[in-house]
Amino acid sequence: MMASDAPATSARMAGTVLSVEALCAGYGRVRIIQGVTLDVKNGEILAIIGRNGVGKSTFLKTLIGAISPMSGRIGFKDQDISVMPPSRRARLGIGYVPQGRGIFARMSVADNLLMGERVGGKGVPNYERVFQFFPILKERLGQKAGSLSGGEQQQLSIGRILVGHPELILLDEPSEGIQPNIVQAIGRIIRRLRDEAQLTVVMVEQNLDLIQATADRCIVIDKGLVVAEISPSDLANSESARRYLAL
Amino acid sequence: MDTFALIFGYAYQYFDNVGFLVLSASGLIIIFGMMGVINMAHGELMMIGAYITAFSYYAGVPAPIAVIFAGVGAGLVGMVLERLVIRYFYKQLLSSLVVTWGLSLMFSQGFLLIFGPSILNLPTPFGGFPISEQTFGSYRLVLFGCALALVAGIWALFTFTRFGTQARATMEDPAMADALGINTRQVYSLTFGLGCALGGIAGGLFAMTATISPFFGVNYTPLAFITVVIGGGANAITGLIASALALAGVQTVVVNAFNQYVGYISMMAAAFLILLALPRGISDYLERRKLRAVRASRPSPHG
Repeated sequence: MMASDAPATSARMAGTVLSVEALCAGYGRVRIIQGVTLDVKNGEILAIIGRNGVGKSTFLKTLIGAISPMSGRIGFKDQDISVMPPSRRARLGIGYVPQGRGIFARMSVADNLLMGERVGGKGVPNYERVFQFFPILKERLGQKAGSLSGGEQQQLSIGRILVGHPELILLDEPSEGIQPNIVQAIGRIIRRLRDEAQLTVVMVEQNLDLIQATADRCIVIDKGLVVAEISPSDLANSESARRYLAL
Repeated sequence: MDTFALIFGYAYQYFDNVGFLVLSASGLIIIFGMMGVINMAHGELMMIGAYITAFSYYAGVPAPIAVIFAGVGAGLVGMVLERLVIRYFYKQLLSSLVVTWGLSLMFSQGFLLIFGPSILNLPTPFGGFPISEQTFGSYRLVLFGCALALVAGIWALFTFTRFGTQARATMEDPAMADALGINTRQVYSLTFGLGCALGGIAGGLFAMTATISPFFGVNYTPLAFITVVIGGGANAITGLIASALALAGVQTVVVNAFNQYVGYISMMAAAFLILLALPRGISDYLERRKLRAVRASRPSPHG
């Protein structure tokens, strides 16, 4: 498996999926993202860290389009998506898993999954892949999503976008409020999403263990700017990690 | 035989009242119960439906098709209203109240200007049937049947179709639905239009039992709102049915004991009492009971 996949993977890695240039965004007249520039390569897992309130979630919300940029440019697969509404970005192939998971609590698990079918366009929905990654969801199909445990809701939120055909997925604190053993499982799934489903992942995360276990690259955001890039394996010892995370 | 006629008479009145409330409120459970828009112009959309039905009928269109025209016409008016006005007032309860109240005045006064104060009448179809010495109108039973069919249709639409699921997702979390590729603007517009179309159909059906004038709507808006509010938003459809059954019961008993006016007042009083006891409506209470039953039947995950 490794031998035959390696060349293809490196060829894919060459392409840039997401390119952000001098992006500024915020709420009302308050600028929170103050000029972020960054490229994410095809098949890469990028982690974004930083203290609370430095703009990590705002950055992801600007990428999906829930917040409009004040200036700068967001390119996705050679298209300028800066002013596209979220629904069109989703249909182009961006899957968004928000903080707090964003499940439809009053709807069944099956109906929640149905709502992911549009991600990445009108391809055939891929339920088999979802149940392969998250077998528990198959047992819970008829249940109200609001009655699931936190870990199950997180799986549903990720599973929902996998029903469609995302190429880039945005994860906002996937480990938040979840038991440690499930965090590890989610970490393994994030790796598999890249290795088996060839997805590109941008995730905001506080859990350094999860980042070390999954990410290829890790950037630090502080006061709305990218201030450092750290190799995930150096995270625990890194001077900048200590400085910007106040460890 | 007389006892049977008496009981049948009460049952007939009761289901007539239930049908009246369900039909008046069927569009509003979507617009207010699901979308959360206080549409004070709901009665005026019913009025538009009644006029469309009357004009189509007198132009030679068969009555059932005239009622469908009423639904289509009111639905289109609703979608235009949504695009021009309502869209800017989602999640603003008080503003939507004032704005739609203004719309309702504009519609009724506009119709008064264009069509004058004259009253239109349509013949009530299907005649009647005798029980003992009394004659009962068959059309009332048709209205009740239509009310049930419309509610069943709404339920099926929101439960089984892709559009219905998208609409529920959009109502629950519009930003998330948007981020999953759902065109939420279109969903809002269609859902609002659908609620107005149901109002138009109800207006068209009532047009054959009531006199049609520019102020046709004022008879329906208050009762429609009371029925929907008593039903509650936790499950708009079961709420609608439960509250119609309860309010119609009060009305039927009081009307027979006293008279129509006391009956009307008694419904307001009943609504007041129900809201005091169940501030979030009957369906909220039923849903919570169901949830408790489910929890009780399952061992707690925490030991």
